[in-house]
Amino acid sequence: MATRAQFLDRIRREVGKTPGLFRARTALRPAHPEVAVEAVRRQMAERWPEAVERFKDEFERVAGVFHHAKRLAEVPGMIAEVARAKGATRLLTWNPAVLGFDLRSTLGAEGLSVAVAPVGDAAEAARRRHREDAAHAQLGVTGADLVLAETGTLILLSGDGRPRSTSLLPDTHIAVFDRSRLVESLEQLGIWLEALHVDPARAMSGAVINLITGPSRTADIELTLTRGVHGPKDVHAIFVEGP
Amino acid sequence: MSASSVTTPFPERAAAALKDPFLQEALAIATTKFIGLRREAFAEFPAGDALRDQARAIKEATLQKLDVYLGQLADSVERLGGHVHWASTGDEARDVILGLCRDRGVRIAVKSKSMATEEIELNEALARAGVTPVETDLGEYIIQLAHEKPSHIIAPAIHKTKAQVAALISDVAGHRLAADPEVLTAAARVQLRQKFLQADMGISGANFAVAETGTIVLVTNEGNGRMVTSLPRIHVALMGIEKVIPSMTDLMVFLAILAKSATGQKLSSYTTLVRGPRQPGELEGPEELHLILMDNGRSAQIAGTLREALYCLRCGACLNVCPVYRQIGGHAYGHTYPGPIGILLTAMQKGTESVKELAHASSLCGACRDVCPVRIDIPRMLIELREHLRRDRIAPASERAVFRVFRRLLMSPTAFAFAAPAARMLQRPFVKNGRVSRLPSFFSKWTETRDLPPVAARTFRERWKELQ
Repeated sequence: MATRAQFLDRIRREVGKTPGLFRARTALRPAHPEVAVEAVRRQMAERWPEAVERFKDEFERVAGVFHHAKRLAEVPGMIAEVARAKGATRLLTWNPAVLGFDLRSTLGAEGLSVAVAPVGDAAEAARRRHREDAAHAQLGVTGADLVLAETGTLILLSGDGRPRSTSLLPDTHIAVFDRSRLVESLEQLGIWLEALHVDPARAMSGAVINLITGPSRTADIELTLTRGVHGPKDVHAIFVEGP
Repeated sequence: MSASSVTTPFPERAAAALKDPFLQEALAIATTKFIGLRREAFAEFPAGDALRDQARAIKEATLQKLDVYLGQLADSVERLGGHVHWASTGDEARDVILGLCRDRGVRIAVKSKSMATEEIELNEALARAGVTPVETDLGEYIIQLAHEKPSHIIAPAIHKTKAQVAALISDVAGHRLAADPEVLTAAARVQLRQKFLQADMGISGANFAVAETGTIVLVTNEGNGRMVTSLPRIHVALMGIEKVIPSMTDLMVFLAILAKSATGQKLSSYTTLVRGPRQPGELEGPEELHLILMDNGRSAQIAGTLREALYCLRCGACLNVCPVYRQIGGHAYGHTYPGPIGILLTAMQKGTESVKELAHASSLCGACRDVCPVRIDIPRMLIELREHLRRDRIAPASERAVFRVFRRLLMSPTAFAFAAPAARMLQRPFVKNGRVSRLPSFFSKWTETRDLPPVAARTFRERWKELQ
């Protein structure tokens, strides 16, 4: 086995032998990502209506199902509706502290079993219990930390109370978001990701960021497009316009 | 399989592919479809061309400081609690993974699609060590059940019919399944879901790794990349050293063009950014993350003729447009990486000698260069490979003798003037209907699959004399 020093020395020697094929530079990064991200936020505070329309179009192009809620209070009913249509009885949601609403009181009454990811408890027992819940859930409810209009993409950070598999293991995934989450372009997402990583100590709590663009899909058998090979067959996005 | 083994000469492997009617149809349909999807994706994306130039520049700039970025990547990954391993060769990379399996008592390893693990023939090595490797990309799963090799970088099982797939998955499921992609996909989901939950180790490649943040980036449509990096207690990512990129801003440039080039999607269904093992407070994710940085012939090309091939994103676009690949498919190439870029990557890993036939499996039409998202000049490097092979005298002695004579003729005007009437006389027995369609002995290779035009009744020089 090579050591790091030997390995990198060899590469340094090779790099030193050539000036390269042409003069080239990497992408120009924002000098102050926190400032740049604030500018994006200000732009989007005005442009969100166009962005949400664009998101809807792109999301539907990748077989996503878009819902528009006027108020947060409409959301549990919409989720119950999707569960009924899918015949799903076991739900798993991100923690209400992260999500901003608790489905146990509203949907529990409708005969649906609602499991909630714990917050502040990642001990072995909690992890095992959660894994059981996740493996059996038919419908997963999450927020979205960012919603990218140009590609119809939901962006989810993992972390305390927001497990990464809620958007992966169930057959159906529902993400709920409001206007503050919208961005327009990959370029803006880049600024946001730069800002997120500015301070490595503070950065983010979880290990994974997922960009989700439609349901799980494959075309590996005779190029026939098929949904839900590993992840969700159906992905819903609920946009909450008002409080 | 026998016809696609490297021990069979390339012309025979190619001939076998040409005689396979299903493969011919499947290749035509698949490659044509991918070409159309790619074209549409870029047609509605005017910024695409400029972004391709930028992506190319980022790859070049990264190579110019590759040692710096790799060091930075390793620091970042370690800061997040991951382990970094340095593998100069494929053997070393395999040994790292086998060692981890041994020390941690790994019995089942689930894999998301990774060309790097194919490159080091990891599955065979794991099986020999008593570890069950399970490919989880549906296409890879199918060919693993069939004990075959992938035939396309992004559509590994395009050579299998749905009836063949039904037979394979029925065997595993224990009951007969209809030859319906929907049914078969659902059955595979059930089988593989169990494996994900049972596996001790998840093995992935990396589409990119961001030096500054220590982020390993996986792009999949099925979601198996997410499973592999979330459910088992150990995650091992194997990447070639050329996959490192400097920053998140750079990553956005590549994401904007990668899926469009591969499948015509704006983004693939899942782009997963993995930043270390499970972090405090998290319920899920691996306890351990190991990143293996593999050289395996790459660094020798930093200042070598194949440098540009180190830009490759493994999107597969050059396969779809290649007139040779479209006819013979991936297996006939006989190595891990097929298609035009595959010839260069094979030469990189196994030496120039290993592609002495394949270097000529190109018409040099340039379609690969035109579609490449980072504009790799594949034809230029193929010509340089051929030049190396000539210098290394790898062609048969008879062919070299013919070309020596030809060279003499071309170098002397007198000899050339004399050669034309001589050739006209010699060719007489072989010209039929104005074509030379059969030549004797070792010249026969030239006419086996195509006709040659005969030497003209009067050469240009002869006509020129009269015209003056």
